[in-house]
Amino acid sequence: MLALLPLGAPALPLDEAGKYVAGAYIVFVLLLVIYVGIMATKLQRIEKELRDVANIAEERSLEDKAAPGRGPEGSSISDSLTPQGSRGGGA
Amino acid sequence: MYGKGLKPLSIATVVAFAVGFSLVFFYAPLDADQGFIQKIFYLHVPLASTALIGFVVGGIFAILHLRTDNNKWDAYSYVAIHISVIFGVGVLITGAIWAKASWGHWWVWDEPTLVSFLIVFLLYCTYYPFRYAIEDRDRQARYASVFAVTAGAFVPLNFLAVRMAQQLVHPRVFATSEGGLPSSMLLTFLVCFVAVALLWVTLVKFELTAKSASGQVNRLRRALDAPGPTGSSRIAPEVS
Repeated sequence: MLALLPLGAPALPLDEAGKYVAGAYIVFVLLLVIYVGIMATKLQRIEKELRDVANIAEERSLEDKAAPGRGPEGSSISDSLTPQGSRGGGA
Repeated sequence: MYGKGLKPLSIATVVAFAVGFSLVFFYAPLDADQGFIQKIFYLHVPLASTALIGFVVGGIFAILHLRTDNNKWDAYSYVAIHISVIFGVGVLITGAIWAKASWGHWWVWDEPTLVSFLIVFLLYCTYYPFRYAIEDRDRQARYASVFAVTAGAFVPLNFLAVRMAQQLVHPRVFATSEGGLPSSMLLTFLVCFVAVALLWVTLVKFELTAKSASGQVNRLRRALDAPGPTGSSRIAPEVS
């Protein structure tokens, strides 16, 4: 289907002018790709941080279970990991 | 919930670009004066308009931040300026390509439109080191907002000054003494403008969603009393 598209198009002057037009549009696409690449790196970093936090939470939870009489401080940390406690109040 | 509506917005952006670029290459007639080179304008002009409007929008968000002292607006302002600067890079490169094809030079220093856009772009490039220079987050946000308001007010003034300049070597898209664009070109231009504007909104939302996710992770970290991550940004405002 895509291969048929140029047939319906007017004769595109892909000489000197076409080179520049193609260049401009390629630059735009490249900018977008670079931006998406940077955002992908950021998301990977967030994912890694989230994994670290989840690991810490799990370790704390295991510690709490191992030492049940640790007092209120320990339990408040695990409480903060319940869906209500960790839910963000983002605007 | 910054990510709400991101999916339909992304789809709308892709559809708008597909329609816009199809119109550019299969519907809009060749310009009698410039020929095929004029096709660059369907990308260059919407990018420039959106970038300039984005700078002004960043200033409006900054006003809201100064009025309410809510850091959410600082994040909005930062992201609006950030995306507009990226669009600005696109404007300068596509403009330079058009200038080379049309005038034979990559850059012309005595053309007010080019130089004024470069000044605006460089002004906003100083926004990052300006933020980076201030350690305290609250002061950083306040000073950055003052910068965004001042620079945002400069953008329309600059635009008007260029329009009133005598030298009109740079082509005008709308409302010239010879008349405006023919309807087919105008329709193509408007669709491309909508597509680029939608892209700006999508990227702003995308960036805010990423910042919000990062902020939520930091909140969790603080709740757990866990050590902070290494190499986190000092200039980007945090959204929770």
